[in-house]
Amino acid sequence: MHVLGTAGGNVLGASREVQIPLLAALLIGGCAAKARRALSARSIEAGIGPTAVFPLRLHRPVAIALCAGELALGGGLLLTAGPLAAGPLSAGPAAHAIRSATALLFGTAVGALHELRARQPDAGCGCFGDLSDTPVSWRVMTRSALLCAAAIAAIGVPPLHRPASAGQALTMLAVAATELVVIAILSPEVGEIMVRLGHSEPCEVRRVPVSRTLAALHGSAPWRHYQHHLLATDPIDVWREECWQYAAFPGTVDGRRVEVVFAVYLEPRHPQVRAGIADPGAGARSRDDSAAAFPLPVSN
Amino acid sequence: MTWRRMQSHGGQVRRKADLRQGCDDLIESASPARYIRRSALRAAVFGQRGSAYHSMWDRSPVIGRATVTGQVADVSPHIVVLHTAQGEQRITLSPCTTAWRGAAVPPAWLRTGDVAIVRRHAKRNVAERIWAQIGRVSGTIIETDGTALLIDKGSARRGRAIVLIDKSSLRKIQVRFPRLEPGYLIDVIGLRQQGYLQALAPATAQPPYRADHPPAPPLISGRIPVPVSGTAVWHEPGAEPPGLLGLAYPALDPETNCEDPHATGPGCVRLPYLSVGSAVRIRNECAGRSAVLPVTSCGAAARLFCDRCVECGTSPRGRIADLTMTAFVELGGNLEDGCFNATLAIAN
Repeated sequence: MHVLGTAGGNVLGASREVQIPLLAALLIGGCAAKARRALSARSIEAGIGPTAVFPLRLHRPVAIALCAGELALGGGLLLTAGPLAAGPLSAGPAAHAIRSATALLFGTAVGALHELRARQPDAGCGCFGDLSDTPVSWRVMTRSALLCAAAIAAIGVPPLHRPASAGQALTMLAVAATELVVIAILSPEVGEIMVRLGHSEPCEVRRVPVSRTLAALHGSAPWRHYQHHLLATDPIDVWREECWQYAAFPGTVDGRRVEVVFAVYLEPRHPQVRAGIADPGAGARSRDDSAAAFPLPVSN
Repeated sequence: MTWRRMQSHGGQVRRKADLRQGCDDLIESASPARYIRRSALRAAVFGQRGSAYHSMWDRSPVIGRATVTGQVADVSPHIVVLHTAQGEQRITLSPCTTAWRGAAVPPAWLRTGDVAIVRRHAKRNVAERIWAQIGRVSGTIIETDGTALLIDKGSARRGRAIVLIDKSSLRKIQVRFPRLEPGYLIDVIGLRQQGYLQALAPATAQPPYRADHPPAPPLISGRIPVPVSGTAVWHEPGAEPPGLLGLAYPALDPETNCEDPHATGPGCVRLPYLSVGSAVRIRNECAGRSAVLPVTSCGAAARLFCDRCVECGTSPRGRIADLTMTAFVELGGNLEDGCFNATLAIAN
């Protein structure tokens, strides 16, 4: 029983100590992500979700205060955590104040997220900039509540020091890893990161220069097959639909004027090429066989 | 007002741009028939003989089309007479006919000379809804002067527009558009006046981002899931012929459709690249109507907005189609609502 109590105390102690660097990393990372988004959007209040619960004129000052507060608290946690902290930053009053303020920040965040979810259900929390665009859910609110509890647990922790033994180091690592896994489970941002890492642009939205498409066409078997029928090697029309780029050329078959149409699939290597021949008047006739010209079908 | 000299210069600017080769523009092209033929040329490659693109381009008999566009020639308690491109059109009014002229009004309040669009009951020459002098401006605010705004409508062809916010509507518009300042987006519906739009109602809520920094679209791997759901909106005809059935598509291939000088990225909904003349099927999820329509222009302004339509439920973010007024009404949309929940699929 005494052994179990000692082991439990070690784990509890390790849990409390691990919170400080974890909270500091999350706070500084959150501020950095928000700043990056503000720089890219050239708008301080762009996408910072909780500011939406404030009046419009307060969006900018609240956004600035939020990011500055996160940075200050994250830095303060680190500065008051070590054994070398001295003077006004020594462990004790300053550390107590900073850790209490951190708990207050995360506790307030739970309420703000709940309010944001009620007012703007489709708004993201903006916690980590661009990565936090998914609507606020119970996962995000639970994460904030967990971090609030972590900050409360860190109040009163003595200055951090190196682990006294390998066992203690392993205990701290295990606790930190467990907490990171729990935070990851509660974080939609992790899914967004995985999507970005595994992303490759679908061919329907891939920009492909026409010159590259025509070069692929000129090297294809259908081009060599129909080349002798063409009256010009410059296309009279080029257009695109989804993953196919089309090019139409004037031509002749058995003395008859035709249009030779090629379709090139927009894939980077050895694109598929298909061809067809159309009557120059095909598709330009309406059901009554009269030549349909501009304007398009009118309403009256 | 000095802005009047700047209005509607999009046409002249566009002609200069059109001197470049390979620039798709249905309105100002020397050979617009080539867009009509693209579906047939595609069919020559893939051997498709679907009726979708045939019916899309065919002239529909008058009685088959529910929407009539024209100028009001006369209004009586039972009949409204419109001057249309094909001549005079007499449409019966019923006690259920509703009209809009700045607000819901009795049909008798329509004025001679009003540009009107009428939706008739199915297979009957009886007016269901009439919209008179309705207009819409959506785009980026360039300059402001009190309640007067100069708006960039998103492309060289559409040019710029002047919007005057009616005093009685200022508060209502400011609630949805709190930032009436240069660089931010606006989308308002109102009465079309000579040279400007008298804004009466917001068409959506103002996005929090500036127009030159819209949010990035979601990342998609594999293939783009179709059909795509989102919001369908409408735009004024401008240089387009009256009664045109079609849509401005927010994702025209920039390689063959002339990179728009106002381009700011792909927009917030991922749509497959298409070209002018491509056929898409648009379904109005609220009215349960669908149609195959041709892409007739570039929906650059639609690309800037990431709003949702809440006419029947909440649509996913993003504008997937910017319909002509006739197409919007034909699909069962009400112009004063500004949008309907829609799905878009490639018709071929």
